[in-house]
Amino acid sequence: MSSVGIKGYSYCLNHVPELALHYGSTPFGEREAKGESDFLHGLPAAVQTWDKAASYAPNLTYIGAMDYFDFEAAETPWTENHLPEPKRFGKYGEIMPEPEFICLMAVCDVFDLIWLEKSFAEEAAAKLLKDPVLTEAIIARINGLHSHVHEISEIEAEISGKKARPLYHNGAVAGCVRSGHEVDDCLFPYVLLENLACKAGGVLALMHLIKNSGIAPADVDFVIECSEEGAGDMNQRAGGNFAKAIAETAGCVNASGCDIRGFCAGPVNAIVAGAAQVAAGVRKNCAVLAGGAVPKLYMNSRDHVKKSLPALEDCLGNFAVLLAPDDGTNPVIRLDSVGKHSVGAGAAPQAIMSALVYEPLAERGLSFADVDKFAAELQNPEITLPAGAGDVPAANIKMTAALAVMKKAIEKSGMDDFIKKRGVIGFAPTQGHIPSGVPFIGTACDAIRAGKMHRAMIIGKGSLFLARLTNLADGGSFMIEPPEHGGAAGAVTKDEIRAVILDILSEAQPQ
Amino acid sequence: MGKLAGKKLILLGERDGVPGPAMEACLQNSGAEIVFAVSECFV
Repeated sequence: MSSVGIKGYSYCLNHVPELALHYGSTPFGEREAKGESDFLHGLPAAVQTWDKAASYAPNLTYIGAMDYFDFEAAETPWTENHLPEPKRFGKYGEIMPEPEFICLMAVCDVFDLIWLEKSFAEEAAAKLLKDPVLTEAIIARINGLHSHVHEISEIEAEISGKKARPLYHNGAVAGCVRSGHEVDDCLFPYVLLENLACKAGGVLALMHLIKNSGIAPADVDFVIECSEEGAGDMNQRAGGNFAKAIAETAGCVNASGCDIRGFCAGPVNAIVAGAAQVAAGVRKNCAVLAGGAVPKLYMNSRDHVKKSLPALEDCLGNFAVLLAPDDGTNPVIRLDSVGKHSVGAGAAPQAIMSALVYEPLAERGLSFADVDKFAAELQNPEITLPAGAGDVPAANIKMTAALAVMKKAIEKSGMDDFIKKRGVIGFAPTQGHIPSGVPFIGTACDAIRAGKMHRAMIIGKGSLFLARLTNLADGGSFMIEPPEHGGAAGAVTKDEIRAVILDILSEAQPQ
Repeated sequence: MGKLAGKKLILLGERDGVPGPAMEACLQNSGAEIVFAVSECFV
């Protein structure tokens, strides 16, 4: 049996409402097509402050400032039940305010693309330097930020004369993202802004991962990045490579890396690929990570504005997971039964769930009841329900429960209990690849270490059809368990007892 | 099924609900003409 340890994990949010207002694809597209429409006039009133975002239960759960099981019991609607005080840091990461994040984007820029206004840059850099997770490499880059600092007149000239995209602070221009090429639209300012934001989010997640895992940057061996962004030029659109760029910026001098893509199924596929490389001894360890997606900011805000709700999609999400050889001390990913939505599996919901959930369980002789939590597509329902997109994690656990009934693993009358007990409530921002099961890895590992959980299944589903190459969707899944030998619970597991009984029975059979 | 005979259908599916190809497969023998079927993603 192959298994790989999960040594550490980090989850961060970057609260960026001004990037959202100007560069989220919904407001950006509206502005380009219609100018300042009624929707765009109404949107600023729906913007929530950092204080609100940092006292909002789903966000706090994402960064580990609120325990997931407390979140399950938290009063709803969460938009009307903020915690008394905002929290920037949680056990997994932080909610970084926008000025510091823009400064971090400039720190991640090595092509003189981002220019910042002097007073804005100085103030943001001073605050960023107080972040406790900064690596030496990042501190050196922040101290070298002066090369990105320009007079406001120079920045305005770049915006008006050379099509640079402005960066805002309190509604005023505080900087810009410049063009990377005269005619190559892969290197135009909007694309570069999107990619640098994704890179900066990845760097932040990696720095938190390094701190949470207790390893040195130089000990990171390989990085796999699995966002949904495309870095490249017109001759190799989306050629990559975010992973190595992120490793370089964070000071991981002995690491290399590559990108894996698959829409929202990217993270699960990337984790399985990284885990396989570690299990095979190809890599000493592997950090799987992703930054966030600027276009998805305020993606559903049209409906939020229409219904006088706060525009909640104001945070970029990012995460990182460190995979290491199974030394018996960390929760593990089992590589002998991972879920795969094959080409021939079909598009029917029950066929997809069967491929992702039932088949990996059946392969090991397990049943639905052997999994404590099924974590599939953890989008925050307070974002999706008002937009008519439904409660995605609830839809997925209902399909899983229905499949369990079909397979005669539970009675139909037991569906509600199954859903309540084994489902996960969505707490992640609608950032595509970010909610796809992986936000639950932290909670699952903590609960396994504490002996409160025995097995969780992480499920990601990707909308491949959006790329117009196929009508198919994709999906992947894997299970997290205590290590085979040792582990916090320390007790003999049900699986181990089952294996012993099977051994005895096979020996007892007449020859 | 008879109700759909001779009709033209536009099918909009979603990834976490019922995808377009799944609806298409169900309605293949309905007598209707499927002029457009697609899945969309809203998250």
